[in-house]
Amino acid sequence: MTDSTTGPSSAIGDDLGLGIALPGSHLLDSQGHRKVHPLSPLVHAVAVFPAMGGLAIALGVSGAASIIDRLEALRFLAFLPPVLNAIAAIALIAFALSLLVAAYQYLAWRALSFWIDDDGDLRIQSGVITRNLRRVQLSRIQAVDVTQPFAARLFSMAVVVVEVAGQSDSRVQLKFLTLADAREIRREVLARSAGLSGDTQEAPQNIVATVPPGRLAGSLILRLSTVGLLLATAVIIGFSYLSEGWSGIAVAAVTGGVPLILVVSEFIRYYGFTVAESPDGLRLKYGLLRTESRTVPPGRVQAIDYVEPFLWRGRGWARVRVTIAGVGTEATSSSNQQETLLLPVAPLEQAHDIVSRILPDLDTSTLTWVHAPRRAWKRSWIQWRNLAAGWDEHTFAIRRGRITRHLCALPHARTQSVRWTQGPWERVMDLATMHVDITPGPVTVSALHLDSDQARTIALYQADAARRGRRTDRSLHWGEAVRGSEDR
Amino acid sequence: MAGMSTEAGFTSPDKWAPDTWVRVSPKLVTARRIVLSIWAIPTIAALGVALFLLPNVPRIVMIALAIVAVVGFIWAWWLIGRRVRSYAYSERADDLLVSSGILFRRLVIVPYGRMQLVDVKAGPIDRALGVTSVQLHTAAATTDAVIPGLVPDVAADLRDRLARRGESRSAGL
Repeated sequence: MTDSTTGPSSAIGDDLGLGIALPGSHLLDSQGHRKVHPLSPLVHAVAVFPAMGGLAIALGVSGAASIIDRLEALRFLAFLPPVLNAIAAIALIAFALSLLVAAYQYLAWRALSFWIDDDGDLRIQSGVITRNLRRVQLSRIQAVDVTQPFAARLFSMAVVVVEVAGQSDSRVQLKFLTLADAREIRREVLARSAGLSGDTQEAPQNIVATVPPGRLAGSLILRLSTVGLLLATAVIIGFSYLSEGWSGIAVAAVTGGVPLILVVSEFIRYYGFTVAESPDGLRLKYGLLRTESRTVPPGRVQAIDYVEPFLWRGRGWARVRVTIAGVGTEATSSSNQQETLLLPVAPLEQAHDIVSRILPDLDTSTLTWVHAPRRAWKRSWIQWRNLAAGWDEHTFAIRRGRITRHLCALPHARTQSVRWTQGPWERVMDLATMHVDITPGPVTVSALHLDSDQARTIALYQADAARRGRRTDRSLHWGEAVRGSEDR
Repeated sequence: MAGMSTEAGFTSPDKWAPDTWVRVSPKLVTARRIVLSIWAIPTIAALGVALFLLPNVPRIVMIALAIVAVVGFIWAWWLIGRRVRSYAYSERADDLLVSSGILFRRLVIVPYGRMQLVDVKAGPIDRALGVTSVQLHTAAATTDAVIPGLVPDVAADLRDRLARRGESRSAGL
């Protein structure tokens, strides 16, 4: 953990920039509206180039070559060896298609403008064929992030992503702006949404945790599925060698290749994971090629899940997932996984430290625990030893899982409703499960297979604790002192 | 844990029938049995005709299937009675309790301050018989609090009471 302060600017990753960026900052159109960067069509074209290459291959290598034969101007390519000829043809077609994209994006760039209207709301005008004027109420903004997709990074450009609460299409993206402009717009929108004047300085942020690459790689390899598949691969190769039945190699390529690809792609995605503290929440930053930046608004965090996979336990590592109201509920499962991740891997102590920054009253070390009774082994013969419910004045928590351990916790005030359930098999053994319902997300707070009467008593106790918690809740007002404005 | 059992206020020895529990209207039994008959009898009849028309079905198989169908129907008929009797709700000072189920039993506690909306629903058969269901929604998708089989007036009163209490106690997420 580093405790250094990085000045007022929020550095987003290392810049891979090619230095092509134009000095065109603060571009305005005739009505005084802001424009995105004029190089944007070029960035779009670069971004789609690989996909267009794929399309060109799909069109047929031989077909492409014959097009070159017909075009007099490209005759010179025919002198190349056939392989190079094909590659050149694919590149040319992809280039032409990308130019088409750039042409369209040029029209889109001309149509796109944005400004802050007289009411102080963000307005975005866009659309080549259908004109579209969108108004984003600044008071409803949840987070403003600056991300850098790979193509944008090459040109030192960035995307401003504005997350709005409670809308189906709740994400506004401004593509592309120079990194400095993007930060400037982010700062301005955030300041205005906090009710301050537009030129308030950006609040400083502290880096509170980083995930070293070595630990990230280790954590990805130390998974039962990865280790299991790699061991299976070794066994298959060994047998193939001994029996000289080389058909096993094809199987080994799959069992060895799949986990390798998964590990590498996740390593690239979460590389350089950094957690920083800022007045609008915890700011997460990660990615080797594509730099992502997300803000976790603490007032909207509902519950925490510390996940301890089997092979991490010797090292005392944990992953932390969060349920945030309105986040990750309708997205696809992969982006959902990213949006609800607070820390990919960290020592438990550090994980607790990060969590205490968003939920200051949540302390899982001093809880009173009630464990599932011994007879529960007949219902859950692996995890019964780790089944428990715990609570104190501020917190309710459950433990479950034996191989991958979970510790799910929430402040009482985040309880939506409480349930007690009993299936037929539980009933025979006088067991029951007690659930605390929270907003949709990755964390499930269910105390499995407790003693039936105990579970009901805890459920009723939790209903009372939730009511008291709502009255004295202070996590909603996080960062209020720093911002000095009304609570969101 | 200190003082938990005294705070819980759930001291009735009969855990499923404290004084304040309100049960639902027995008319719900009739409504559900009608619905069961509407889909089950034609389905069983159609299967029977199909089996009869098929060649080479041994008589013993026919008889066995007929017995299964009849026993299953009677069991479902009986189960509806028990299930409906298992529904009960209790309005406490700050939350609503709903309990239900025989095989899979449940007790749902919904704080008034967490209710986002209250649905009052009645299908055509329900309306003809005068039963209505009240469903409570919170911000959690897993909250599963339905009180079926209320007399329409009772349902409307309950909805109004819940809405009033919800307003006075509502809290942000």
